[in-house]
Formats: sequence, C-alpha cells, structure tokens
Amino acid sequence: MTTAAPAPLPRRDPEARAHLREVAGQGRPVTLARDRSLLVEGPLGDLLPGGVLQRGTVLAVEGTRGAGATSLALALAAAVTATGEWAAAVDLEGTLGVEAAAAAGVVLERFPVVRGVSPDRWATVVAALLDGVTLVLAEAPRHTRAGDARRLAARARERGAVLIALPVPGAHWVGDVALRLVAEGGPWSGLAPGAGLLADRALKVRVEGRGEAARPRRGELAQAG
Amino acid sequence: MESERTLALWCPAWAVSTARRADPTLAGVAVAVVERGTRGLVVCAASTEARAEGVSVGLRRREAEARCAGLVVIDRDPGAEARAFEAVARAMEPIAPAVVLERPGVLTFPTRGPSRYFGGDDALAARVLAAADAAGVSDARVGVADGGFAARLATCAAAPGGVHVVTPGGSPAFLAPWPIAVLQGVVGAQPEDGAAFADLLARLGLRTLGDLAALPASSVLARFGVDGTRAHRLACGAPEHVAPPAPAPPDLVETYELDPPATRVDEAAFAAKVLADHLLARLEELGLACDRVMVEAETEHGERHVRCWRHEGGLTAAALVTRVRWQLDAWLTGRDEPEEDATGGLVLLRIAPDRVVPATGRQLGFWGGDAAAHDRAARVLARLQGMLGHDAIVTAVVGGGRAPSERVRWFPWGEPRDELRAAPWPGAVPGPAPARVHASPEPASLLDDHGEPVRVSGRGDASRAPAELHSGALAGGGGAVVAWAGPWPHDLRWWIATNGREHASEPSRAGYPGPQGASHGLGNSVRNERNRSDDRVTRRRRALWQLVVKTDGGSEVACLVAVEGGRAVVEAVYD
Repeated sequence: MTTAAPAPLPRRDPEARAHLREVAGQGRPVTLARDRSLLVEGPLGDLLPGGVLQRGTVLAVEGTRGAGATSLALALAAAVTATGEWAAAVDLEGTLGVEAAAAAGVVLERFPVVRGVSPDRWATVVAALLDGVTLVLAEAPRHTRAGDARRLAARARERGAVLIALPVPGAHWVGDVALRLVAEGGPWSGLAPGAGLLADRALKVRVEGRGEAARPRRGELAQAG
Repeated sequence: MESERTLALWCPAWAVSTARRADPTLAGVAVAVVERGTRGLVVCAASTEARAEGVSVGLRRREAEARCAGLVVIDRDPGAEARAFEAVARAMEPIAPAVVLERPGVLTFPTRGPSRYFGGDDALAARVLAAADAAGVSDARVGVADGGFAARLATCAAAPGGVHVVTPGGSPAFLAPWPIAVLQGVVGAQPEDGAAFADLLARLGLRTLGDLAALPASSVLARFGVDGTRAHRLACGAPEHVAPPAPAPPDLVETYELDPPATRVDEAAFAAKVLADHLLARLEELGLACDRVMVEAETEHGERHVRCWRHEGGLTAAALVTRVRWQLDAWLTGRDEPEEDATGGLVLLRIAPDRVVPATGRQLGFWGGDAAAHDRAARVLARLQGMLGHDAIVTAVVGGGRAPSERVRWFPWGEPRDELRAAPWPGAVPGPAPARVHASPEPASLLDDHGEPVRVSGRGDASRAPAELHSGALAGGGGAVVAWAGPWPHDLRWWIATNGREHASEPSRAGYPGPQGASHGLGNSVRNERNRSDDRVTRRRRALWQLVVKTDGGSEVACLVAVEGGRAVVEAVYD
C-alpha cells in the first residue's frame, strides 16, 4: 500500500502573488453596452434611439417657456429614478415645480435639488453632482462657457452619468450633445373661455442627434401639466 | 459584572426653562414648546402651569391650545437649549471630572470618585443640586443608581428639587414596577423604533420592566433580536453592553487644525463633519461602535473646552456634528459667564471616541435601496453642503396648500423628511401641477377687452372677463387669453386680525385646516424661511386664475395668475 504524496502547499512568494494579480486582472468583468444604458419605458422611450438613455452622455432639452421643456426633462428624470437610480437637479431660480416632478413619477427621496447656485459656482456644483448621482438635471445659465460645457461632458463620460442640460428659455446649450430634445408645445385641452379646467395636452417633441439619431424624429407625449 | 454607579441630573421641561431664560416675561405663564413630529406639531415640553390645565407631552398643538386658554406656544430650538445647558454643565465641572451630556436637560456622571470624596451619594447629590440651583435651575432632580438607565429613571422618581438614591444592588427591584413605555427613546436607532418596540411589548402583555426581566434572555434574543436583548439587559439592571466598554485606541482620535482660525460656528461645524465622517468610517472598519464621544476645541489663545456627549443607539455623523455645533455655539457665543468664554478663533478641533464597544451590526433593508448608490450620493451631497451651505441642498415633500407654491415643503439634505399623509385640501388649485412655480412671483398685467386691469371684488366676482395677459415670465411677453377658469378667491389666515396678532383663544379657528399650511406651507424657500415668517402672520386675500394664453409666436402657454391687492402676478407656468 502506498500513501499518496501530500499536495504541495500553495506558493506564497512575491512572484506567485504577482502572477495571481495578473490573472485576476484578466478576469475583470467586461462592461457591456447594455449595462451602460438606462432603459426608458413608454412613449418617451420610443423617441430615444434604442429606447435608452446612454450613460456618459449629455442631452440638451430646449424650448420656450411654456412649451414643455421642463416637463420633458422631468419625465427623463422620472424614468431614471423609477429604476432605483439617483437623480439631482440644479435649480437656478428656485422655480422647479416639485409637485409636477412627483406627478411625472420622480421619486422625491432620490431627487435632491440644489437651489440658489451662483453662476460662478454652477460648473463646480454640476461636476460634483455628476460624481454622485446617475442623472443630473441642470438648468444652464445664459452665458455658460464652452470650456465648462466640455469639461462637464468629459466628467459625465468618465463617471457614466447622464447630464441633462436645460438652458434658460431663449438660450442654447453651447457644448456638444448626444441628443437635443426640443419641446414645441401643443394645444391645451380642457379649458374653455370661462369654463372647464386645464386637463392635458399632446406635447410635440423634436429629437435631433448624431449617429443613430441623425435623422430628426418627432413625437407626441401626453403631458398632464 | 456590576453596572457603574451613576448620578443623573434632570432639569424637567428644559425647553421651557430655556424659553423663560430668553424671555423673562414668560415666567408664571402657561408655556408649551412644540416640535414637528410624525403627527404634525406636538408638544415636547410644557410648564407646570400648562400641565395643571391638562397639557401633556405628545399632545397636538391644536388640542393643547383647546385645553389651556392663553397658552403661549413656542417653536423648539435645540441649539438654544444646548447653549443654555452649558451653564449647568459648567457648574458640574468642579464636582465631577467626567460629566457626560446626554441631551440638553440631562447629564450623568459616574459617582465612584466624587461620592467618596464628598462623603456618600446623598451628600454628593445635595452638592449637585446646590450647584444646579446656583446656575439658575431650581427644579432640577437628581437620581443615583447602578447604571445610567436606572439613574435616569430615579430622577423621575425624585420630587422637584429632590433626590432619589437607589441603594447599591437595588436597581433590579427599583426598575421592575416601571411601565414598559420608558424603553422608548433608549432602544432602537430612531425614537420611532423604540416607541414601536415598547408598544409591541405592551401588546404582548409585558406591561412593566419586571415582566420583561422575568423572561429568559435567550428567548428574548430569539424573538426580538439585538434591540430586545438590549431592552432585556436594561430591564434587569444589567450593564448596557455585554462586553465591557473599552477605552478607545489612541489612533482613533481625529484632529483638525483650522488655519486661519475659525470664528464662526459654521466653519468649525464643517470641519467637524469631515472629522465625524472619517471617525465613523474608521470605527466601522474596525468593527466597533461608540456611544460616547469627547469633543475638544482649542482657541488661538490656548483656551480649551472639552465636553463628553453620549447618544442612545449609537452616534451618526449628523448627530455628532449637531452636538459639536451645540457645544461650540455655547462656548463661542455664550453670554452667561463671559470670563469662561472663548476670546479668539478656533484653531483646533478634536473628536475622540470616549469608549468603544463591538458593533452589533445593522440590518439593511431587504427591499429597495441600493446602499452603494445611496452612499455615493450622500458623500457628494454632503460635500456640496459644505461648499454651499446646509440649506442649499434640499429634498422636497409635497404637502397641503392651495397654490402650487404653498404645497411643497423643503427639507435640507440629511434631515428627516416627514411625509405628510395625503389628504384632500379644500380650495387647492385643481388640475395638473405646474412644472414652473415662481418663488418670487413675476409681475404681470391681466387686462380685459377694454384694456383695463381685471379686478376681483371681495366676494370673488371678476369685473370683466380677462382678454390679455402680459408678463416677462411668458415667451414673447404674453398675448391674448384664449381660455380661462376662475377667479378662485383665497382668503388666507382670515383668523389673524389686521394688526398681525393671532386671536389665540378664538374658538372658531379650531376647525380650520389652516395651521399646517400657515406655519410651513409658505416656506417655499428654506433660505427665505425667516423673511417669510413675517408674512405668515398676516392675512392675505387673493384670487387665482388659470389661463391659456396665445403668444405672438402662435403657441399656447398655460399659466396660473394671482391677483392680489389689485396687482397681478404669474404664480406658475405649465411648462
């Protein structure tokens, strides 16, 4: 009867450790494209290429005051918070209607709002928020510097966050964007001269972009307020 | 192991005493201090005059006012309470070296040294009472017992200005007849947890601490977990912690040098936040928890100020920073004894855990909540709060109110959000919520078809139908009104006379759904809360219109316009 030789103890010298580290590094998980996107359900998703918000991109949402740009941006924030992610808003003038956000489906617990930001600190605040949350809904002041816009885009790409720039009415976002959503308003229903109550409207939205979204698409969203 | 013999000093209704120190005219008047809890504004402290009329802690404000006519109601200010309590803490320093502040109004210290020095527990207690009296607290009560929990309960058994000493070894017998409800506030991480736990035990038929103590410890652990074991140990008069608390390792001391010296409490509090986060992260790494913390500050002139703070259920970073803020506030801006106050800016802040115990762990929620994402967001938001100020980062709760600007309440990030139960709000603006609500309403002109401003009479009748709206808040400056609803007259705070005084005991106000909106709904902006507190005590009358305007560009804009005192403003835009 022969006794089996005991198995050699694992090597613990620096060389073996370095080898182990190398092997472990090769086995690091690969990030798939679909992990870098946030699914958007419903008619809003139909407007976006692939029905998703790509992480690490910048979107601009524009429109004159009253045309529905804010509601459109809030709907995007709602789609993100609904999946358990965090969103934050930068509210320059303290006018963001949080009740409308809640009605659009934003989870207010995961939707901190930064109010009263002076224009010289705006870029710093947005950059910091991009570090911490998945989607930043940033109202952009009238004279945003192109350099700031570029740096914020780089920060969003690095952190895998989505920056939604909401320029003040009449202004345009100066930086490059993956998508530009333009709210074009629409007729309101429910209210008549001296009668009825405001009900809802079909909000016309135009989407412009590059690559997959190069061909402008148009759609209508039901907007309740 | 024996529980450490402890002396507790309790100043009953400390919030009332604080208010009376600030405003001597309140002496002899029925006073109640209210704070906002989960049930709205509830009484958290009441003076003896108010208690004689039936006002008790936990009563809602409205009911307290109904029971006691002429009751003076004051909002709670924990900072002022802590500042005022500093005088009492100072008075104890010559008597005992290791004073531990539990919360404003309660302090404890181990009696082992002082008691022998002064000749027994009774002599020590008499000396403590005399010192408290000299500091201006005549109704303080002292309890001495084995263990802090029993000592605190012993203060409740003492007469006003009196002493209750539980003989050594007598704590279990002393504790047994107390109702189980005394456990609330000492068990669980949040006060609500403790209340729910005590309620559960009472419903299971365990009505006194003695009932709970009679159960086998292992069964309590199996059924109620960590909190249950803690409650059981307290009820038995056993030491709070299974493992004896050990002195903290010296490398856990966190120090922050302030250069240039900080002269404002805010600056020091920001430094404290950094220290507290770092300290708690280190403790977590080591698997330790700490329930007592020494906070030490030093000024550029070499003055030192040390206080030991204790917190039931473990300190969080926010709780720790609040305590640092209280302590420094009292020291830097103290008024009672100027010779003891700081004369220069702060140069050094040090936070050291006073004693540590193994962490018993924290059960994370099963449903929802990605803890990593939450932590990441919390770190960033805390950093921004340091940069922009505590009030700049807010989360919102939608509550009651009529106009959209009144329906939202903001809470600074990190503070508890008390969600209001959804309830119908009579007179609220119907329809969808506007996405743009102007905190400072935009001036507008609402004209009829003759070009005259539209007026609304006291009875809520419009002079003519609106035809045009002009305002800078609208694209293209406004245009023709194509559809409208209204006017909806709002008479806000009609119970306040025109001179701004409230009719305190007017019976008719009891049924009005106003007070919640009146005291909090208008605070649309946290920063402006103070300014707005002026206008919240005035009566306002206004009329609201819902309008759809066709602008020059041909697009339709829906907005909400208020007419007040003959002037129109755009309140909100449906954007």
